[in-house]
Amino acid sequence: MKRFTAICLFLLSVVALATPAFALRISIVPDHGNPASPQMGDRLRFHTAIQNDGNAAQEGVLAWISLVETDSGKEQPVDLEDWSAHKAVVSAALLPGQTVESIWPMRLIKAGSYRVVVSAMSRSGETLTASPFVDFTVRQKPVVESSRIVPVALSAPLLIAGLLIWRLRENRARA
Amino acid sequence: MNAVAVIARKEAGDLLRSPRGLSWLLAMAAALSAFSLLLISDAELSLLDNAEAVYGMCAVIMGLGALLAIVMGVDTVAGEKERGSLVPLLIAPVARDRILFGKLAGIAMVWAAMYLLALPYLWAAGGAGQNLAEGLVSLALLGTPVVLGFGFLAMGMGARLGSTRSALMVCLVILLLAASPVILGPSLRQTAVGRIFDWINPLSVALNALDAVIIDSQAVVSQWLHWNLTLLFSGITLWFARDGFYRTAL
Amino acid sequence: MLIEMKAIQVNQGNASILRDVNLSLDKGSIYGLIGPNGAGKTTTIAAALGLVPVSAGSVRVLGKDPWTESRFVHARTGALPEQSGFYEWMSAEEYLAFFGNLYERPLTRGEIAQRLSQVALAPRPGQRISTFSRGMRQRLGLARALIPEPELIILDEPTNGLDPRGRRELHDILQELAADGIGVLLCTHLLDDVERLCDRIGVLVSGRTVVEGGLADVLSANGLSQRFLVRLSAEAPPDEPHPREASILTGNGGWRIVDVTPAAKPEDVWRKFYDLGWPLVEIKRENTGLEALYLALTEGGTA
Repeated sequence: MKRFTAICLFLLSVVALATPAFALRISIVPDHGNPASPQMGDRLRFHTAIQNDGNAAQEGVLAWISLVETDSGKEQPVDLEDWSAHKAVVSAALLPGQTVESIWPMRLIKAGSYRVVVSAMSRSGETLTASPFVDFTVRQKPVVESSRIVPVALSAPLLIAGLLIWRLRENRARA
Repeated sequence: MNAVAVIARKEAGDLLRSPRGLSWLLAMAAALSAFSLLLISDAELSLLDNAEAVYGMCAVIMGLGALLAIVMGVDTVAGEKERGSLVPLLIAPVARDRILFGKLAGIAMVWAAMYLLALPYLWAAGGAGQNLAEGLVSLALLGTPVVLGFGFLAMGMGARLGSTRSALMVCLVILLLAASPVILGPSLRQTAVGRIFDWINPLSVALNALDAVIIDSQAVVSQWLHWNLTLLFSGITLWFARDGFYRTAL
Repeated sequence: MLIEMKAIQVNQGNASILRDVNLSLDKGSIYGLIGPNGAGKTTTIAAALGLVPVSAGSVRVLGKDPWTESRFVHARTGALPEQSGFYEWMSAEEYLAFFGNLYERPLTRGEIAQRLSQVALAPRPGQRISTFSRGMRQRLGLARALIPEPELIILDEPTNGLDPRGRRELHDILQELAADGIGVLLCTHLLDDVERLCDRIGVLVSGRTVVEGGLADVLSANGLSQRFLVRLSAEAPPDEPHPREASILTGNGGWRIVDVTPAAKPEDVWRKFYDLGWPLVEIKRENTGLEALYLALTEGGTA
């Protein structure tokens, strides 16, 4: 039994040595000013803290934000192009115990359920570190008001057409 | 009255009083109406945020403005030459620069008319949302040099080629080329060539700046580099127009 | 001298448009510049108006180089190009007001009306130019050319497309202008216009002036006669005697065709005919011999 226990301990220590330690740790918290039930056009902010929990400095740390749509049947990554201009942060070096804090603003473009996550890696590291997920739902908002568009879209050409017809008739009358 | 103002007033009158010019204005209004109706009827577009709608509308206005400026720019030299109305202007005791600047001011007035025509559409599309005022300011700041630049280019091309049809064809191809990254989507713009093209193409430069201001809510002043690039474009095309105009004879 | 061109050459690219053009026009004179299509008439006008630079020779208009001092020349010269386009959406009044402002001679309504009547143009109030006939356009173009109260007027094919009455009226206007001391350079291919109006002519062939000078001198130097149709009220005198300066070509009964030598004055010749007993009742000029000269020059003949 003692021999078995010794072998198990040996194997566990080998596995522990072979598995790299997660040197970076990321926490993510929604801003307290975020609307409780956001709708399209609202702005959300997320605060992250990336901490080096390892013993060695992490160089070339890159963190980026990802957004995934999670509605059933619509699961897909979202192109952040129109949602945020603040898509990544870079830190040249993160010393042991040091923390980098970032704010990730985002404007809600489309209705649906979403999950946001911030990921990080360093140049020397061998694994990807991800933050916990933050889920939120964006309510639909009628963005372009047809009550404004229709009158303008119809009246402007009609006005110019009327002017054109008046001009042509005037020309004919004076011919 | 100053000769520049006299000629500019005549050029603008050509658009606002002649059936030909009014027809063009009607076509522009119809295009803007079609786009605005798409904003509410098309499933994809109707989901656009206000800012997206304003940006899209600004892009359409700038494109149509450039098109109108090309038509007017070609007509103001090559068209007048073909119709025989240019020579009486050239033999008036007015310095060529004054005639040129009168014609350029005419193109600017045409763009101003287009801008005024677009205001109700912008209000309708984005009045309920954010960044409309910023959109209007940046459209005036960035759209003006781009639109005038295309007008100057057309004027110079018309003066050099001496043919409305040829000059119009060349300028429309250039406008299409400039608009191609917008038409082809963002994938092309990710390549190195695409990025370079994005920086030397005045239409892309202005659209990127409009995107930054209207959609990403960046400050208008932060787009000073883009603005300078569009000014550079209009400066180069102004030189092209002036050089061509000085070569114009009978 | 209003226009003085000496051996001018104009090149466009590698093409030589004018090779050797000479022209001199004085005050009160009407100069007919004639030549076949493509001879360089329009380019000669462009050179006179300072619209193209000359590559050799000299051109002076009102004593100035029109290329370098175009504003001086333009302020004192009126011109009606062959293809004179208009702003169709304007009325004649608006059109003249526009050019009045450009010439820094703002015109009042009364002045505009007076200038329109000067060229016998009476459109309906506010009538758009797009509805004008060819003749009305020519008159409007002439009214525009007269805005600066010019010392010199240059007209390129002004009677093209005009009906006989319109032509006659334009002739009258040009003769009045010349009588007022204005020099008129008339570029045309209608020899009848030249015969009726011009006291000097220049014939241009392939960019060269092949003949230039007073109309009578040119015809005389080339030995060409002036031809007349003469009608008689009674029988001609027996043996039909005639002055040395005239020759009777043909005829019978009550009419004859008579050639008068270019140097002779027709009035003197007719007096001699009366003295010889000819019952002349009507004398009609058939041609000045210009047509024969023109055909000879432009069909490979030399001056």
